[in-house]
Amino acid sequence: MTPLIHIWRMMCYEWFDALRSRRALVALLLYMVTSVGTMYGSISLLQKIEKELASVLQLPASDNPGAITTTLWKSKPFQRIMRQVSKNKEVYDDIQGKSPIELIYAWLSFFYMPLLVALIASNRIPEEMGSGAVRYIAFRTSRATWVLGKFLGQVSLLALAVILSGLCAYLVARLRLGRYAPLEIVWNMSFWALRAWIYSIPFVGLVMGLSLFTKSASKATIFAILSLVVLSVITGLTTLFGGDTGWRALLPYLAACFPSDYEMLLWRNNVQSLTTGSIFLLTLGFTYLGIGYTFFQKRDL
Amino acid sequence: MVTALEVLNLVKCYGKRRALDGLTLRIPRYSVTGLVGSNGAGKTTLMMTVAGFLKPTAGTINLLGNGPFDADVHGGRFAILPQDSELPLTSSPLELLIHYGRLQGLSLEAATKSASNILETVNLSDRAKSSIRSLSHGMRKRIMAAQCFLGTPELILLDEPLNGLDPREAARMRDFIAQRKREQTIVISSHNLNDIEQLCDHVAFIEQGKTVRFGPIATITRKASVMVYQLSTPPVDLTLFKPLLGEGGSLNFNPQTNTLTCHTVEETLSPEELNRRMVPLLLSTCGLLTISQGNSLEDEYLKQTVEVLHATRGCDFTS
Repeated sequence: MTPLIHIWRMMCYEWFDALRSRRALVALLLYMVTSVGTMYGSISLLQKIEKELASVLQLPASDNPGAITTTLWKSKPFQRIMRQVSKNKEVYDDIQGKSPIELIYAWLSFFYMPLLVALIASNRIPEEMGSGAVRYIAFRTSRATWVLGKFLGQVSLLALAVILSGLCAYLVARLRLGRYAPLEIVWNMSFWALRAWIYSIPFVGLVMGLSLFTKSASKATIFAILSLVVLSVITGLTTLFGGDTGWRALLPYLAACFPSDYEMLLWRNNVQSLTTGSIFLLTLGFTYLGIGYTFFQKRDL
Repeated sequence: MVTALEVLNLVKCYGKRRALDGLTLRIPRYSVTGLVGSNGAGKTTLMMTVAGFLKPTAGTINLLGNGPFDADVHGGRFAILPQDSELPLTSSPLELLIHYGRLQGLSLEAATKSASNILETVNLSDRAKSSIRSLSHGMRKRIMAAQCFLGTPELILLDEPLNGLDPREAARMRDFIAQRKREQTIVISSHNLNDIEQLCDHVAFIEQGKTVRFGPIATITRKASVMVYQLSTPPVDLTLFKPLLGEGGSLNFNPQTNTLTCHTVEETLSPEELNRRMVPLLLSTCGLLTISQGNSLEDEYLKQTVEVLHATRGCDFTS
């Protein structure tokens, strides 16, 4: 029971510290501004695309973005385009007919979340190790509970970030789209926020796991950003060169070690895919953290 | 002897350098022990290794009779003031101390009470809710020391606790530590031998990662067999005093400091009896300014560590 209580206390302290720390607040604010900006830009882009598509597909044009989306979804050529964009038939079937606001929000949450994680979670542990502050904790609780408390603290902070960004994004959509952004969308956006939050967990595990190898906060941030770049490159290469024979057959197994391989499961609508994706992503998060911890538990503080 | 901390053949290497080189030490329970040694002797490494911050290369540590440090076993029973470790700057002292107290297993009420009391002791009640970032170096140092005394840990390691404190606060801290004698086991590392002599009842001389000497300060400074008399004028005839020292006793006069040092055999002559014999004669012949019992810790430390340093560094420290 005591380790759980300690983890809870570390988590709460992490919350208070993040709220007091200007840097965490600035990162959260930046994320919200990015969400709002992206939503605003996407709505403008959507409006432009809609107008062009309406003209190509000979549908009646409208000044309100989203007004003709329902009609668009019924259009065969548009369906073909979306199927190609989503590159996944099941995902396409599941997102078909959904409000563009929801989809834009979902996309931006999945896209920006790893970057937010790299900025706010990567330096929390090295900061305290570098300053020596960890030594005031390390004789009061175990290293494992300290690391887990920090990890869960950051994970729960990200939940706050997605909720706030979701609310801001909805407000922008409401202002831009009026009745085409009904209140029911908030519920759907919350569900996408939950999925994006689950998707962020392996990234928190990754950047915090990596941060356990250094006592320098700036190095940890660089490691985190580099790791995201490396993940993107590897994911791209496995998609490009993956095959059924020889070494190419091994690439899907390599891809399975990275969060992006499970992203599409979170875009699905059925419980089975969502559960499977969530379990794999959580496992990845704890595995990355665990790898860092095996080094950390033996290192000098 | 019931030990609070037992360290056997402890080795800690940083790369090829051996910071601790087979160090052995047994700290008695409820003692206040001073660790004395030159820079890089291994005092801080010893404390950090005992606290579990550093992983030992070899050797065994027995903390409070329950093996090496384990947070589940020793949490709340052990505390340390680590050297060169900053507190989290965004917290306030009160919040931070309550958080630490809670991690030690105190209830919210007990942690708040303990934190408030300890802040009062270190004279920082008025800054309890300020951010640590806004406090001076000395104030931060007082909070660092204060966190060790949250709750009632059985063993407390203090690495340079008086460093960076102004004279008034240093005196308060000294009094506070002195009050804890016989309630908790305290180990203090310091370069200030006067502090060690005032505060501690045991001392360990550490050099080159080894314990050179360990024991009660009274034994090490030979309080029972050495008496030092500070005189106003040099004695004319030392042979007058010789018969007063009893069998096996000896005299040594230092003309530079005008001190007469008497060595006696502990079993044959008590310090009280020696004074009874010496003082009247000294008063009548050469004027007596002060009497001190035993050698100074500094003299003993220099005497006992010079050979180690000489052997390893190959230079003459006696001058």
